[in-house]
Amino acid sequence: MGLKVIKKIISGNQAISIGAYKGNARFGSGYPGTPSSEILEHFKNYPNVIAQWAPNEKAGFEAALGASIAGTRSFATMKHVGLNVAADPLMTASYTGVNAGFVVVTADDPGMHSSQNEQDNRRYAKFAKVPLIEPSDPFEAMAFMQYAFVVSEKFDTPVILRSTTRISHSLGVVQFDPRTLDNEQDLKLEKDFRKYVMIPANAILRHKVVLDRLEKLKAFSNETPINKIEKGKTNFGIITSSMAYNYVKELLPDAHVFKVGFSYPMPIEKMREFVNKFDRVVVVEELEPFMEEELKVAGINVEGKKYFPYDGEFNLDIVEEGLKKADLIREETTKVVFNEFELPKRPPALCPGCPHRPIFDILHSLGRNIFITGDIGCYTLGCLPPLSAMHTTVCMGASISMGVGASKVQSEQKVVAVIGDSTFFHTGIQPLIDAYINNANMTVIILDNRITAMTGGQPDPGSGFNLKGESVKPIRIYDLVKSIGIERVYEVDQYDYENTKKFLKEEINKPGLSVIIPTRPCVLAPKKIKETPLVVVPDKCIGCKRCLRIACPAIDFKDNKAIIDEVLCTGCEVCMHVCPIEGAIVKKEEK
Amino acid sequence: MNIYSVLFVGVGGDGIITASNVVAYACMFAGFDVKKSEIHGMSQRGGSVSASVRYGDRVYSSTDKMGSVQFMLATEKVEMLRWVRYLNNDSIVVVNDRIVPIIGQTIDESNIDGMIETVKVRRLIKRKFIDDANKLGNARLVNTVMLGLLSRFMGIDEKYFVDAIDQVLPEKLKTINQFAFSYGLKLSEEYA
Repeated sequence: MGLKVIKKIISGNQAISIGAYKGNARFGSGYPGTPSSEILEHFKNYPNVIAQWAPNEKAGFEAALGASIAGTRSFATMKHVGLNVAADPLMTASYTGVNAGFVVVTADDPGMHSSQNEQDNRRYAKFAKVPLIEPSDPFEAMAFMQYAFVVSEKFDTPVILRSTTRISHSLGVVQFDPRTLDNEQDLKLEKDFRKYVMIPANAILRHKVVLDRLEKLKAFSNETPINKIEKGKTNFGIITSSMAYNYVKELLPDAHVFKVGFSYPMPIEKMREFVNKFDRVVVVEELEPFMEEELKVAGINVEGKKYFPYDGEFNLDIVEEGLKKADLIREETTKVVFNEFELPKRPPALCPGCPHRPIFDILHSLGRNIFITGDIGCYTLGCLPPLSAMHTTVCMGASISMGVGASKVQSEQKVVAVIGDSTFFHTGIQPLIDAYINNANMTVIILDNRITAMTGGQPDPGSGFNLKGESVKPIRIYDLVKSIGIERVYEVDQYDYENTKKFLKEEINKPGLSVIIPTRPCVLAPKKIKETPLVVVPDKCIGCKRCLRIACPAIDFKDNKAIIDEVLCTGCEVCMHVCPIEGAIVKKEEK
Repeated sequence: MNIYSVLFVGVGGDGIITASNVVAYACMFAGFDVKKSEIHGMSQRGGSVSASVRYGDRVYSSTDKMGSVQFMLATEKVEMLRWVRYLNNDSIVVVNDRIVPIIGQTIDESNIDGMIETVKVRRLIKRKFIDDANKLGNARLVNTVMLGLLSRFMGIDEKYFVDAIDQVLPEKLKTINQFAFSYGLKLSEEYA
């Protein structure tokens, strides 16, 4: 078979899926999370692969580990905070090691484009004593992913491949042979009591294996070609990795650069040699001073974070500012000639017709005596004005559990937890059991739009189909909650605004635990919902702006009257229900 | 090291991802290295959206430096102004003469137009491209018309864009978009 090279422009995430396929991975699992979601969505299209969404990252990680021990190269994908959920198996999978290659892909989000924190997951590699590989563009994402499986098998260890938003969602030109190059047969399932059963007697021995492995990995890090020196003409050197490498190369094309692709364990000896050659060496790394610390602990004299921020996403401007502070750049490469204008911000908003909108409008209107614990999803937008109906958001599933605590220690404020269906399946079920067995006094609202909407509409266990688009029997949340033993469980149609409001008010004011499940589906996925749009009857509109308080992108206000954009309006009628004037907002055909 | 950049700015749903993909492929077909960045996630919910296509002999960064963008395609006027710091006096800007309302805000259009007046670049083409697209029979062609016009200034041959449209768009939209592109390119004669 000859080479069949194609040249395409692909994203970092697509590149990771190609690398996995070419690296002979046949099993991928994970949980959707920006910026990691598209990896499995691409991977599922390859022949003879198993790609599936797990209800959470821990389950996805463990499924992939199980597949590895059963002899198939496997990987799990997640966003940075997802690895917190999967940290439990990670710490011990380091001890068990692998059978077939096993890679954990974490996509970090410096700058928090769509996340609740910007933790630097390179720390996990050191914590778990497993190798860390970091690509800097789509080509490397493909090649390094393939390489990660080799490293995993060679050293009998899970490998972390770390991307960031800017790598996952940047596109670049990649030439590749799309076929799998590695035609190795799958390995046999391995039963090895000493290796895979982590009772203390075995784990004590395995920890020593891990420490021994770490020494071998340290030596390997000095040898691997993905830790490379790019010679320049300067009297200083730069050590960098990931996206930061790209900014350095553009701003300092003549510098000596140590490009790190295998970033844990660090190639300390190779770096010591590099650093000794120059007057000064500066480490340029996004977020944490991970490499700088490792180097300093090894007694290597480098500079780093004293010139660069610890927070936020890097870009050419920020890196240039740091390099100027470090006196490595004298003149700015380009100058800003136009001053920023004062403009109204355009924050994201719930879509027109979004079934979450009436719930937050109702919660807002119920007044100051309710404490609303929120969760992670599109509905987190319910925290923003004018809806302003959420008082906490911490992590997946925390709405219900934080509500349990808040309801136990005080009674002045009624506690309402708001969580979406996918988040409920992810880590909301155990907190609801907590609420039940500990007699929490609260109302749990499970916004069941039957899709993981925020990340682009991936199916969850209630959707009725899976990642491959195959039909599966959906789990009905009502039945699941009932089976716990909770008595007051109700499904409501939230587009029936008045009744929903009346019912919610009653339930929130009753003692004990109740669960309310609004059942309208997402208007975007799996299919777009568009019904007859509404229009404002200008003669009847009194310009009270009540309809503007539901924060619908389809409603604008001009010349003291509301107007509805017919193209955007999906016909949900929520504005019509909140309007105090009968007949001021009507279906288009009735006008 | 010469790197050129086309910055696309607009509002979620404007079709910026597709338009930037077409430009990225056209640049690749013309023999350049290309990097492109785009932001997913929250921005899909009606927020500000941007994408950058950077091309040259060798491109590292997928995002732009302030003051460095040669070409901007803005699908909306407020968003054009939001990214003004990325432009310089030599930039070419093609902006659709339209404002997308912002929830809970009143935008004074004449005020926005006044701000645009102060942006002194090499060329700023502000036009109701939606009228052109409607003339061609489909409002969704608006970005492609704008691209055709912009391509004249980029100096990348039409044939690469025709191939790029062929690569990026679904079968049934190819011919009509290639036509809209030619229309936009012809339009550039008015602004030559």
